[in-house]
Formats: sequence, structure tokens, C-alpha cells
Amino acid sequence: MIAGLALADFRDRVRRPAYAVTLLAAVGLGYLAAPAADARWVILDLAGYRGVYDSAYVGAVTALAGAVWLMFGGFYVVRGTIRRDERTGVGQVLAATPVSRVAYLLGKFTSNLLVFASMTGVLAVTALVMQLARGESRTVDPVDLLAPFVLITLPVLALTAAAALLFDAVRPLSGGLGNVTWFFVWMVLAIVSQASGALLGGLGMGYIADSARADLAARGVAVSGAEFGLGLMNVEQPLRTFDWSGLDLGAGLVTERLGIVLVALAVAALPALWFHRFDTARATGTPAPADAVPPFAPTVAYPGLPRTAVRRGSPAVRLFAGELRILVQGVGRWWWFGTVVLVVVGLAAPPAMGLLLAGIWPVLVWSRLGTQPVENNTSGLLGAYPAARRRLLAEWAAGIAIAALVGAGPTVRMLVTGDAGGLVAWVAGAVFIASLALALGVVGRTQRLFQALYVPLWYLVVNDAAPLDYLGVLRGGPVPGLVAGAGAMLLAVAVVVSGVRHARR
Amino acid sequence: MNTRPTLELLDIRKVYRGGKVAVDGLTLRLGPGLLGLLGPNGAGKSSLMRIAATVTRPTRGHVRYAGTDVVARPDALRGVLGYLPQDFGVYPNLTAPEFLSYLAAAKGLSARSARGRIGELLELVNLTSAGRRPLGKYSGGMLRRVGIAQALLGDPEVLIVDEPTAGLDPEERVRFRNLLSDLAADRVVLLSTHIVSDVESVASDIAIVAGGRLLRRGTPEELLRDVDGQVWELTVDPAETGRLQERHTVSRIVRGATGVRVRLLAPVPPAPAARPVPPDLEDAYLAVIRAAGAPVPQTTGGSR
Repeated sequence: MIAGLALADFRDRVRRPAYAVTLLAAVGLGYLAAPAADARWVILDLAGYRGVYDSAYVGAVTALAGAVWLMFGGFYVVRGTIRRDERTGVGQVLAATPVSRVAYLLGKFTSNLLVFASMTGVLAVTALVMQLARGESRTVDPVDLLAPFVLITLPVLALTAAAALLFDAVRPLSGGLGNVTWFFVWMVLAIVSQASGALLGGLGMGYIADSARADLAARGVAVSGAEFGLGLMNVEQPLRTFDWSGLDLGAGLVTERLGIVLVALAVAALPALWFHRFDTARATGTPAPADAVPPFAPTVAYPGLPRTAVRRGSPAVRLFAGELRILVQGVGRWWWFGTVVLVVVGLAAPPAMGLLLAGIWPVLVWSRLGTQPVENNTSGLLGAYPAARRRLLAEWAAGIAIAALVGAGPTVRMLVTGDAGGLVAWVAGAVFIASLALALGVVGRTQRLFQALYVPLWYLVVNDAAPLDYLGVLRGGPVPGLVAGAGAMLLAVAVVVSGVRHARR
Repeated sequence: MNTRPTLELLDIRKVYRGGKVAVDGLTLRLGPGLLGLLGPNGAGKSSLMRIAATVTRPTRGHVRYAGTDVVARPDALRGVLGYLPQDFGVYPNLTAPEFLSYLAAAKGLSARSARGRIGELLELVNLTSAGRRPLGKYSGGMLRRVGIAQALLGDPEVLIVDEPTAGLDPEERVRFRNLLSDLAADRVVLLSTHIVSDVESVASDIAIVAGGRLLRRGTPEELLRDVDGQVWELTVDPAETGRLQERHTVSRIVRGATGVRVRLLAPVPPAPAARPVPPDLEDAYLAVIRAAGAPVPQTTGGSR
């Protein structure tokens, strides 16, 4: 039963175009994991060293990269499976069958895991190709190559698959808030579980680091105090190489990794305690059934055709108001309350702080840009309406209006203090944010893409990454013209993609 | 002479990715009046409707409105078009007036005429009392009525409605038929359905399609004439119905106390006891579909 559920769900995902994109992303990740010998960027820096590109090292470093990055990006790929069943009505069909809650959840977990397994498989094949392409070792050892994917990547991804399911089953986390939250959860987990003594081996970095330390020490290289780095990093000079002896595939490692899988299974089954099994009467946040709400409306006599004549006018303002209304539809009172607090705080706090807060608070609203017709299935209706580009621009303007609203506090403060430079930078930032959201929404047709990319971007700015400072809050950041120019380009991308789709309709 | 512009669908072919041919060389010319497009499920009706409404681009062929190629210049039609798709969504947290107001702006209506027409249209579709409720709390039939209202926002010259009565209760269906009759007086109305009774009372012109092709076009009278003298009724033992269904096109089966009353199509009397009856549009439709070799919908029995 679980296998049947999982396979049906997996097949449904595999047949979507987005699946091919995720596999391509896995290929790209595999390429990044084994850079050329003279490259100035690396994924794993073992105190200035890397292993010779043999099966063991290429397999391990690619598996590690997969564990770290697929844990982040893969979450956004696999999540939403319960909501999809809710939206399509499949959930209610399943609810009327003998499938138990635990079986349903484990079926969905297995489907998530199958998606990850296929991505891991592609990653493993890419690792093999990269080993042969780099040419430092032509000997292919299948066990050395594949074991890291099975023991490092898959357990971490099993936990990610379970976390995605858990987020789906917890109503407040089932939407955009969950997407934003996952970035911070992932970041904490990625940092904490890189340590050698991490619980159940963590990401698996410790296994590689410990044996690499021993190998380097055996060569007389003192690395006991040196730091090993994991992530896409620049290095001043290409890394030196050493022969790495590979993972120690002992019982301890296997037991620890099995432990992670068991934890993942427990996390996946946990929502059975509260999962509503698609009973709309129990699902909070679900609108009451239509029949229960509207009272009986007596049928009135056919009044004849409307008498008001149609006059054409200038609809720009009403179109903008309509798009704004659509953008904030269903936004909770807590969000409006937070916005008021933000505006008040922005009046008193330094503008940089106010702008940083204004740059993240509406992330869930901005992420709706470009996605609403698809998410609400109005594309078919709107497809027969004129002036599609005008609607797109009105939507973009609504995104800027949201930025103007949440940034009202710091804006007033900058006006009062005569900080024209800061003001111009913030305007450019608002244009950039709305354009980025619209472009990603139009291209990806999902809110997740913006949520997954924008939050890390904002976080980097918070952490003083001046070259990426689109808000104009750091010294040495790009000039406002550049930020606005990037925004204009992104807007153009949205307009062109939307136009091409419309033309190819 | 009527000078209202015409909508022309010329040699339309639509092939979807994967090679599925939905519409295959179909030509229709529509003037003022209501053309009822009839066909079984999967006949290509919705694809043709989407093409006529400029939502989908044909793989081959031309769509012209008042002489303008609307495949290349869709806005030439969209400004005067009302379109109700078979399936459509709404923004669930907006009310019907808010949703219609947005769509009126998208159509380019002035604020005053939008306000006036939205009120009148909500009254027309009997949703005035539900105007303050978010659309997410509407039933399927109520949403269908919102769809009808939006199609009429711009007082369209061309109205394209795809399975418009799906989900409507009997009273609303009657209202909608009255509305269509009024609209068809001086506009181009294209109505697609697989329910024959939907077009029976309102269409002055009927096109029957199957397998993406136009099988027959004519007035209801012409279609009825095609099967005049070929429709029979007889009462048989229940065990006989299977044999009759194998040999003839059976359009109705009604179970009664004395046996099963069967209505069927046959060029000659199917049995000595069979009596000829006047044909209706359902008989004519089934005859066309059967003659083309398209699958005939399964006849369902009623009981009395």
C-alpha cells in the first residue's frame, strides 16, 4: 500500500518539467564538487589540501556537497505533496479508502525520498564522469564511489524528506512561512552538524575530516588546529593534493547513518498524531463548505440584460488597486499588525535597521508576484482578456507599493534627515525586490523559488556581504543605478517570458 | 442587411505536445445568433473554444474577426469578447464585486460603467445577496454564475461559453437560457456542450463535432429532417434490451411495469410492434455521431 502510494506520487512528479530541472541542478552540483586542478574555487578545503580525484574522494566530496545543498534546495523541490492532494481532491478520494494516516504519510515520505534518490543517482553518475574527466585517477572503484552517496547523502536527504512532510502537515508551516523557516533551520543544522562529533555523524563531514586529518598527519602535514571548510569558497591558490584513504566503512558509521534514517521515519510518521486526513471540518484554515454558508437565495425573475452602457476609460489606477488587493488577499491580521509595528519602529530606529526589517517582512507577499493566475487557476479566464502586459506592470507596481508601505518608517526618517542617497538606494532596492519576485514568479510559476533565493540573499546582506547590498544599507555596496538596472532587467525578463508564453499559447 | 462582424474559424487544426490531435481541419463561420457546438467528451470542443477565444493558438489555420487575424492580433477580439471557460479559478479571498471590478479594469471599462454593470450583472445572475462573501465560500454553481457575469462585463459582441450550465440548478439553467436567447439576437454566441437539451431551446444553428472534425451543421429543423421516419419506440422484455442495443442506436430506455420502453434509430421498423415517433434533437445527434463511427454515449435507463 505504501509502495503504491509512493510510486503514484513519484510518477506524477517525474512527469513534470520541473523534475528535469532538478536533475540538471544535480548535474551542476556534481560539476562544482570536482573543480579543475587550477581552479580558484572549491567545495571542500582541507586546510589547503584536497584529495586526488579518485573514486573515493570524488564520491565523498560530491556526496557531501549533495548532502549540504540538496538538503537546502531539495526541501523546496519535494515539499507541498499534502497540499497538492488537498488541492486536486485526490486527498479526499484517498481518505475514503482503508489507507491509514501512517501509511499515507509514509507513502508520501517514500515518494519524497524517491525524488531525492533519483537526484542522488544523477549526482553519483556525475561524480563518475567528473573523476574520469579530471583524469587524476582512471581506476573506478564502485564501492568507494557509491558508498558515500548511500551513507552520507541519502540519510541526510531522508531527514529532509521527513522534514518537508512535517512542514506540510503543520498548518502554519505548510506555506511560505515554512519555506522561509527552512532556510534558517537548514543553516543551523548545516553549521552544527559539520563538527566531527555531530550527533549520528551529522552531515558526514566529520567522517571525511577525521580520516583526512589522519592521512595528512601521516604525510607529516600538521593540520590539527587548521580549519576544514565546506561550501562554495574562493581560494588564493589551487589546493595541493594528497592520497586520501577513503571513508572507514565500519559498523559504527553504518549504525549512525541508519540511526538518521530511523529518526527520519519517526519524523515522517509524527504528523499522524494530528493529521486531519482531508476532513475539511477538522482542517483549520480551510473555508467552510459552501453549502453551509450561503443561505438560500430565492430565485428572482430574469431581469433582462444590463442597461448600463459600456464606456472605455483609463483603468490604470483600478487595475493597480485590483492587483494590490489580489497580492494581499488572505494576508492575516498579524501581518498587518507587524507592518504597523515595523513602520513605527522604522521612524525611531536607524534607517539601515528599518530597511533590513522592511526587506524581509513582506517576503511572503512579494513571493506571490507572478504566481497568482497559476496558483488560483485564473490563467484560462485572463487569457481571453486584453492588455496582458498592462496587468503585469500593475502587478509589479503593487509589489513596489508593498515595499513603500513597510519601508515608510525609514523613508520618512531619511526624508527628515535629508538622506537623499539612502532614499535613492531604497527606491532602487524596492524596484529590484519587486522585479526579482515578479521575474522568479513568472518563470517558476511558484512562490517557492523567490522564497528560496531571496531569503539567503537578504541574509547575506545582513551579514555584511556589501557587493550584494540591494538595500543600500552597507558601505561599499553597488550604486543605486546598478541595483535599479538589475531590477529593470529582471522586469524585462518577466515581461518577455510572459509575452513569449502568451504568444506560444 | 445585417452588418455585424463575423467570427471565422478557418481550417483549424490543433495538435498538442505528444501528438494528440484535438481539432482537425475544422471550419466554422459565425454571424449573429447562437451556434450550439455539440459533441461527445473529447470531441475537441473545448480546444476549439479556447482557440476561438484567443487563449490557445491553433497549430494551423486562421481565426478572423471582422476580417482581422486574431491569432496574430488577439487584442482585436479580446476587447469585444466575453469568454466563459469550462474550468476556471477565482481569487478566493476577493468578493464577487471586487473580482469583477478587477476584471472590468482589465477589460478597460471606465469606473462608472464598471460599477453600474457589476451591480446589474450580479442581479442578473442572482448573486446580489452573496456580494459580500469571499468567492472561496461560493458553491460550484455560484462560481459558475460569477463566470457568466464576468463574460458579460464588457457587453461583448462575441460571447463564447464552454459548458456554461455545468453545476447550475434547473432554475438557473432556465434563466441562463433566457439570457442566451436575448444575447443571441444581435451578437455572435458560441455555446459548447455535450448536453443536447442545453442547445435544443436556444440554438438556431447547431454544429456537431467528434474526433476534432465537423460532422454536421444545420438548423434544428434540418437535423430533425435527417432522421425523420427513423425513430421508433417499442416495449420489450428487459432481457431483449441488450440485443436491441447491439443492433441499433438506442437513444432512451425507460423501465415500466409492463416492460422496457425502448426508443431507437433504425431505417426500417426494428420489430413488428415498433411504432414510429417524431424525432427529437437527441436522436438527430446520436444518428450523426453513429454515422461517423464515433463512440455513442452509453444510454442510461430510467424507471417509472
